[in-house]
Amino acid sequence: MSLNQAIETAPPAVPLKVRFGGWGTGLMLLAVWLLLIVATGLYRQDFFSQQTVLAVAFTMSIVGVLAIGQGLVAISGGFIDLSQPAGMITASLVAVRLSEAGMPLIVVIIGAILTGMVWGAFNAAIIVFAKLNPVIVTLATNFIGLAVLFLVFQLAEVPLNSDIYHFGRASFLGLPAIFWPMLGLVLVVGFLLPRTKYGRRATAVGGNRAAAKARGISLKATRFAIFMAAGGFVGFAAVLFAATAGPFNPGSGNAMQLNIIAGVILAGISLAGGRGNFWMLLLSVGFLSTIPTSLVFFGLSSDTQSIFQGLILIIAVAIDGYRARKGTP
Amino acid sequence: MRNLLRVLAVTALSVPALIGLAGVAQAQDKFKLGMAVGGNTCCEWMKAQGDVARALAEKNGWDYVELSNNNDPATALKNAQIFVQEGVDAVIQFNGQAASNPAISAVMKQANIPIVTYDIADPGMYFVGIDNLAAGIAGGEGLGKIIKEKWACNPDLVVSAEGAGAGIVNEWRTGGMRTGLKNICPDIPDAKYVSFESQGDAAVGLPAARDLLAAHPEAKNIAVVGLNDGGVLALINAAEQLGRADGVIGWGQDGAFITGDNVNPHLAGSVFYFLEGYAVYAIKDVIGPIAAGNVPPLKADAGDPASKVQPCPVTAEQAKAVPDMNERVKQLLAAPAGTAEYDLFCPNKG
Repeated sequence: MSLNQAIETAPPAVPLKVRFGGWGTGLMLLAVWLLLIVATGLYRQDFFSQQTVLAVAFTMSIVGVLAIGQGLVAISGGFIDLSQPAGMITASLVAVRLSEAGMPLIVVIIGAILTGMVWGAFNAAIIVFAKLNPVIVTLATNFIGLAVLFLVFQLAEVPLNSDIYHFGRASFLGLPAIFWPMLGLVLVVGFLLPRTKYGRRATAVGGNRAAAKARGISLKATRFAIFMAAGGFVGFAAVLFAATAGPFNPGSGNAMQLNIIAGVILAGISLAGGRGNFWMLLLSVGFLSTIPTSLVFFGLSSDTQSIFQGLILIIAVAIDGYRARKGTP
Repeated sequence: MRNLLRVLAVTALSVPALIGLAGVAQAQDKFKLGMAVGGNTCCEWMKAQGDVARALAEKNGWDYVELSNNNDPATALKNAQIFVQEGVDAVIQFNGQAASNPAISAVMKQANIPIVTYDIADPGMYFVGIDNLAAGIAGGEGLGKIIKEKWACNPDLVVSAEGAGAGIVNEWRTGGMRTGLKNICPDIPDAKYVSFESQGDAAVGLPAARDLLAAHPEAKNIAVVGLNDGGVLALINAAEQLGRADGVIGWGQDGAFITGDNVNPHLAGSVFYFLEGYAVYAIKDVIGPIAAGNVPPLKADAGDPASKVQPCPVTAEQAKAVPDMNERVKQLLAAPAGTAEYDLFCPNKG
């Protein structure tokens, strides 16, 4: 067995530490989320209703899938992908056009995912081959993408009574149909990332580039693959978005960005790369998606959520910085 | 022979120069219209407003300069300064950035360039627009008639899809719809009136709409009013996702989603302003006379406008006879000068 094979088959120390340390993050998130739920329920008992569960689950679904893509970029040392809104709307537009052409849902899904992957490859090509900062590149491609989208369309909407329209309104086991793919993807990615060769490579590239390079891991190929995979998740999120949003315009995805980044950081996925447990996304995204609903039950306007989102983001970044300084997940 | 060659050479050189000079003089005499569109940030009609203005300017033989304000006050002010540098003779602006109106007014006044504003009045600008309050009341009354017939004026909830960013227009339209509804159903208790911030966008307002419905789990019969069709659709879509759309009836404003073959069955009606065709009014009553040298008196008050746009409330059934926006624009541009979309398409002319 070569040294490379040995490294790639044996779980390295970092992911073990991640899994162990992740419980602390998870317990903290769970406690805060439960506190919010109990406090709101005590204030208004009708908070404990199926309607609340549905409202929160719908919000979680799209944000959750986008957070997987964002988390992959972060854990591989790409910091954050600021082009998700433009990527998602581009893929949503493809989903709409395929639906309008009468394509079956599976074709619509594949088309949107491929579009997202192409979008990710576009980002990756600039980042990897021009060796530019991913944050600046994705910020720029988001601007470019939105500008091009504005030239291409003003409004788009999946046809009423199309397969994708019904998918966006269906429920399964008391939860929205769009919730289950998100749940499955988070569980699968969270399981595979520390346990597969490619997952460990992605984490290793983010954790210590020099060490990863010394192991023979191609930084370029790994980063390229990560951005493409992240784009695939953006593409799938676009299907969920198009299925539920109703008429949307090129700027309709912008509002989600902060929530997604906050969700990734709160989940303990380090923006510096190399650390994170994707299962924690369920708790962080669930918590963040419950906040606006709770605010409405407390009689506060849902637009005040921006204040809470901003505060939570600051706290999350502070925690992320603290973890990085202490070297703990 | 030599003299003949000299004459020919001078002629050959001077003719194009004279033609060029004549061209410059003609260009200097040519009326130049500046158009500041809102920006492609929400709605198809924002782009169409510019397209119609451009087509009408070309029909009149004018030069045309279009800039986008991106619904941003700072950009709108910068664009006003660009119009001055461009030497336009008059400006039309879609007013999505009221905060910068006084500054824009001052810039235009200093340059002696008349300016038309759509829908939000400013003391220094010709007002062309709809009576938003009247449009709101008309829509509210339209919804009220349906609520009276279906629910005996006893809905469980009346939801307002607000768009606070639109400022006073939101108060006129959304508040006007509540007033109109109360005109028909005066006994709906105030406690049944609730609001959410839709931002006038079906997709952006959707999570807030779901949260509002979750906070009123017992409400079955829900009437929805709002700043525009998009905001009302946010609540309707939310209700569909929470399995409660059967008891939802919405009435929007602006007519953006009441035509075509993708109309949500819970959107019972809307009020057309035919926003894309506002340039017809502006050119007929303000810009045209200015171009002809007859500058009309400044009418800046919404109550006494330079040109008044008629609101056109329609039920979803009536809206089926109204073509979609692209077709409307096509027919509008083919119609005789001065014909408004209201004249062409409104099924309920007052």
